[in-house]
Amino acid sequence: MGDRPKLPARYEQVKLLGEGNFAKVYLARHMDTKEEVAIKVMDKEKLIKLGAVQQIKREIAVMRRLRHPNIVQLHKVMACKSRIFVVMEYVRGGPLYRHIPANSGLKEDETRRIFQQLVSALTFCHAQGVYHRDIKPDNLLVDEHGNLKVFARRGYDGAKADAWSCGIVLFVLAAGRKPFRDDDFITLYRTICRGDYRCPRTFSPELVRIVRRLLQPNPAHRITLLQIKETDWFKKGFKEVSFYIDNKDCLRSLDGSEEPDLCDSDSEDETAMSSSSSGSSSPVAHGDGGGMHTSVSAPSLVNLEKMHIAAARAPEPRIRRIKSMNAFDIIASSPSFDLSGLFEERGEQLRFVSSAPVNTIISKLEEIAGQVSFTARTKDCQVSFEATRNGHKGALAISTKIFQLTPELVMVQVCKKAGDTAEYRQFCGSELKPGLRGIVDGLPEDGLPPTLNVA
Amino acid sequence: MGCASSKQFKRAPRHGDAALLAKETTFSLDEVKALYELFEKISYSIFKDGLIHKEEFQLALFRNSNRKNLFADRIFDLFDMKRNGVIEFDEFVRSLQFFHPDTPMADKIAFAFRLYDLRGTGSIEREELKEMVLAILNESDLLLSDDAVEQMVDQTFKEADLNGDGRIDPDEWKAFTSMNPALLKYMTLPYLK
Repeated sequence: MGDRPKLPARYEQVKLLGEGNFAKVYLARHMDTKEEVAIKVMDKEKLIKLGAVQQIKREIAVMRRLRHPNIVQLHKVMACKSRIFVVMEYVRGGPLYRHIPANSGLKEDETRRIFQQLVSALTFCHAQGVYHRDIKPDNLLVDEHGNLKVFARRGYDGAKADAWSCGIVLFVLAAGRKPFRDDDFITLYRTICRGDYRCPRTFSPELVRIVRRLLQPNPAHRITLLQIKETDWFKKGFKEVSFYIDNKDCLRSLDGSEEPDLCDSDSEDETAMSSSSSGSSSPVAHGDGGGMHTSVSAPSLVNLEKMHIAAARAPEPRIRRIKSMNAFDIIASSPSFDLSGLFEERGEQLRFVSSAPVNTIISKLEEIAGQVSFTARTKDCQVSFEATRNGHKGALAISTKIFQLTPELVMVQVCKKAGDTAEYRQFCGSELKPGLRGIVDGLPEDGLPPTLNVA
Repeated sequence: MGCASSKQFKRAPRHGDAALLAKETTFSLDEVKALYELFEKISYSIFKDGLIHKEEFQLALFRNSNRKNLFADRIFDLFDMKRNGVIEFDEFVRSLQFFHPDTPMADKIAFAFRLYDLRGTGSIEREELKEMVLAILNESDLLLSDDAVEQMVDQTFKEADLNGDGRIDPDEWKAFTSMNPALLKYMTLPYLK
């Protein structure tokens, strides 16, 4: 392939991070936002030759819906005639193995912390029907805060296989070496089947027990990751993270049939939302060009929250890029055209109009989030709220976007992204709307949202 | 899936029909069969006759069969290719294929054009655009002054009606959507894959 335009428009290459069979991964910087990302560049021709197109498409489709602090976040996917670009979070700390002292391993508390993050990420994937099947220390990354990042990747039903691999990672973390001798494949195979390994004396008895149950050669007797989560050793200091799946993402122009879509078009903004460019934790993907990896970073929620709020509150002199909405945009973004209602419960949407300055609206939204201790991320004219507690349908996540309608008017669009509908309505009715009164035009006086497209 | 009591009316697609639909649309045979399950569910929700009536379509879309909605009507009318007031299975499949992620953008652009060409004149008139904007604002209970609406419609026409004849013709629409790809986002449903 001619190596001319390597990256999508507006991204400048910083360096090559890794190279694989059909992909190269670059560290790149967005020229406007200066955000650093990892971009995986795949050659369409090679994908076709390898018959990997469908697989890659499915992988991307699944991966872009997964959002978890310990999974490398897929920001967006773009394509031109000959290439596919997968823009991902850049995980700054590099591969996990580099952080493990050889032959001595990490302290048990540190081991547990990383292991908790790994299990949290994997059980999250498993719950979505996604199995990694290639977990190994080389495939795990660590961000600049020392948190794990897994590359999400799609295998077949492999809950048991993933559990076994977690056992290996756990062993390596705590021991600083691999459990099985891998001089050659036959020896390796034999030692694995016999469960022939020895834990260093430094392992606590509970740790030994967990390793043994994970490295159980017979999958039928092997402990599951969900069971692991119930053990006392695991539970120590563990906090379940809140996460959600963005259910609106769609895969665009991945096949070569369409014209190149290299600019960051509006249609990508659902994805942009999930990209946490709030300046708090922005890890980087050190790709090896292989499968799509997941990053495992589990900042404690408290810290994460603080950082987000701090980021949101800090006076930001930067210019917000507001998108304008033309008449057709208003029509196209109407829920009436959203046929996804045929397939699943759709997100509820609420729209209102305001003549207040955008910055005023945004500060108000951030303030409301702060009052109910939601995490708020602001990116340009979009504020995303995320509850920090899991409701029974997962954490509530709400996106609010502001668009320019006319020079004097903006439209605020509020949309439930995940979580329980009743909880969402409650939030809109008793927090959001009262909070916005005075800023927004024509909000009815009663506490009910004016329009809810009842799902 | 349809209710058990409606079994007697059930007409599963004959294998030949399904294969033909798979051949003539973007869907694979398995996808056509999966769509049949969806079709069955919708078409047996109220009238139980294996045809999708407008009320059933609205019920499926909004979980409410009484909601009057200009756009649901428009989409229904486009799906009802034979214009006999109901959506049959092959119409359902042939129409939904426009929403398939693999369907060429040109087809999606054309479908959206027909959707907006309310009076079927072959172009989108200024009045049609204004009517649609008002309908949307109304359904979202958004209060906007007539001036603001006029301003928006004017601005949009300034950008889209390249030859300034007061109508958006198919070529102008094509150019406009390629500048504003987000306009066609709703034309792609990831579920169809």
